Amino acid sequence: MTGTRTLAVVSAGLGQPSSTRLLADRLAAATADALRERGSGVVVEPVELRDHAHELTDNLLTGFPAAPLREVIETVTGADGLIAVTPLFNASYSGLFKTFFDVLEKDALEGRPVLAGATGGTARHSLALDHAVRPLLAYLRATVVPTAVYAASEDWGSADGSNALAGRVARAGAELAALIAGGAPAVRADPYEDPTPFEQLLASGGA
Amino acid sequence: MQFGIFSVGDVTPDPTTGRAPTEHERIKAMVAIAEKAEEVGLDVFATGEHHNPPFVPSSPTTMLGYVAARTERLVLSTATTLITTNDPVKIAEDFAMLQHLADGRVDLTMGRGNTGPVYPWFGKDIRDGIPLAVENYALLHRLWREDVVDWEGRHRTPLQSFTSAPRPLDGVPPFVWHGSIRSPEIAEQAAYYGDGFFHNNIFWPAEHTRRLVELYRRRFEHYGHGSADQAIVGLGGQVFMRRNSQDAVREFRPYFDNAPVYGHGPSMEEFTAETPLTVGSPQQVIERTLSFREYAGDYQRQLFLMDHAGLPLKTVLEQLDLLGEEVVPVLRREFGIGRPAHVPDAPTHASLLAARRTAAATAAATAEKEGAR
Repeated sequence: MTGTRTLAVVSAGLGQPSSTRLLADRLAAATADALRERGSGVVVEPVELRDHAHELTDNLLTGFPAAPLREVIETVTGADGLIAVTPLFNASYSGLFKTFFDVLEKDALEGRPVLAGATGGTARHSLALDHAVRPLLAYLRATVVPTAVYAASEDWGSADGSNALAGRVARAGAELAALIAGGAPAVRADPYEDPTPFEQLLASGGA
Repeated sequence: MQFGIFSVGDVTPDPTTGRAPTEHERIKAMVAIAEKAEEVGLDVFATGEHHNPPFVPSSPTTMLGYVAARTERLVLSTATTLITTNDPVKIAEDFAMLQHLADGRVDLTMGRGNTGPVYPWFGKDIRDGIPLAVENYALLHRLWREDVVDWEGRHRTPLQSFTSAPRPLDGVPPFVWHGSIRSPEIAEQAAYYGDGFFHNNIFWPAEHTRRLVELYRRRFEHYGHGSADQAIVGLGGQVFMRRNSQDAVREFRPYFDNAPVYGHGPSMEEFTAETPLTVGSPQQVIERTLSFREYAGDYQRQLFLMDHAGLPLKTVLEQLDLLGEEVVPVLRREFGIGRPAHVPDAPTHASLLAARRTAAATAAATAEKEGAR
């Protein structure tokens, strides 16, 4: 399928520059390349959660996103595909990363192709992607691509490691591109435009 | 257009002194606030319903009955009555009784409640929130309109040949509003019955209010109750005023910063930009409130939340003086400008009774004409 697809890229990195953002950018580039090879145009929408850290906490407390965060949420939930990358803190995703997914509506990512990535100090934490990040996305009923990409400090250093990382990035990007290109563009039902008629609510006992 | 106040009935320590009122003091303060509302020329007082500390108003019709005896004009209402966990039979009885005692100065707003644990305390399940609101209200609606009801549903025991007593005053059921912040099902329910729709309109951005009110108006017309701009809309609002806006900001900030709902989150400036909360001079409150019409259309009822976040009673009464003397008279005048003649006022017992008599007279005249043929 051709046409232009949007790809949201959420990074929960805290440093400037951030290795998490670096990994996110490489995953985005690989996915965009693979989409273009398939004849799709692609618009990449990067999101740095650090810029919205206060708004995310406010959202937890007030129950609604302030205007800048609202825009980000609309960008992410309206995209055809999502790349989500977190640093690993204490054997799991960071609190900032989790908070972002906590403030989404529960069905906001339903069926959406997602590629998960994480960064950490050593490769010993790599399974946190499959034990923490993947279940979170599965709960949100997103379609997570088989390859999740973990980058440890050593991956950025050695020539060998870097090549191995490049291979994983390319494979994951191709998997995400295939899912995005194979699916219909993201459309979300609007309950304010098409309410369930009241007779139906009455007849079904309101359920 | 009606103007009034609604109270959550929270017992919150005053953050500037650390002192919390006792439950007794808070309950008496709510009554004093209601009496003050009438004194300063407001039209409506509405109490919340809560069944857990730190809130006191668990028994709204008891409080409203007492207020009814101490006031002359004030319309007594709720914000909200829990249609989910209350037995609709008891709501029918309690509010019909209140209606008689208050000579018709009663309406009520249905809500689902926002405290999960309340449901099991009353033998219900929060997952049934919407189904309970739908089924219970369908029964309540019949109990006030049919003298003898046979009924069977999923959420309470069946009724056979049941008559809810007392019957509504003059055979006119209290007017009902349905309140919701974000549920399209509730806007749909209000539209289906031709009832009012009340949007709390505080704590959340106006965009939510706009979307729900639009939906309600569109569906009100769809169900044949009139044109969309004749639907009955009520809005909440939240203000803190001093004649000098800087004084208002300075005085209210510690209450904002520590308030149970939004405290320790966004700054007061961020929150007032995002939501209808207005902290400033009476003129600023007037301008902000008039702007609600831009997204809600010409509407029927404006209620303000004035007693919350630990504000002392003395301050609340001063706020009501400002509201009644400087704000509402201007709002009445300004909201009247450009308001189409076919946009109705909020229904009252008197207007509903008159409409009922007109309908009966028309029906009788038609029958006579048919008979003469």
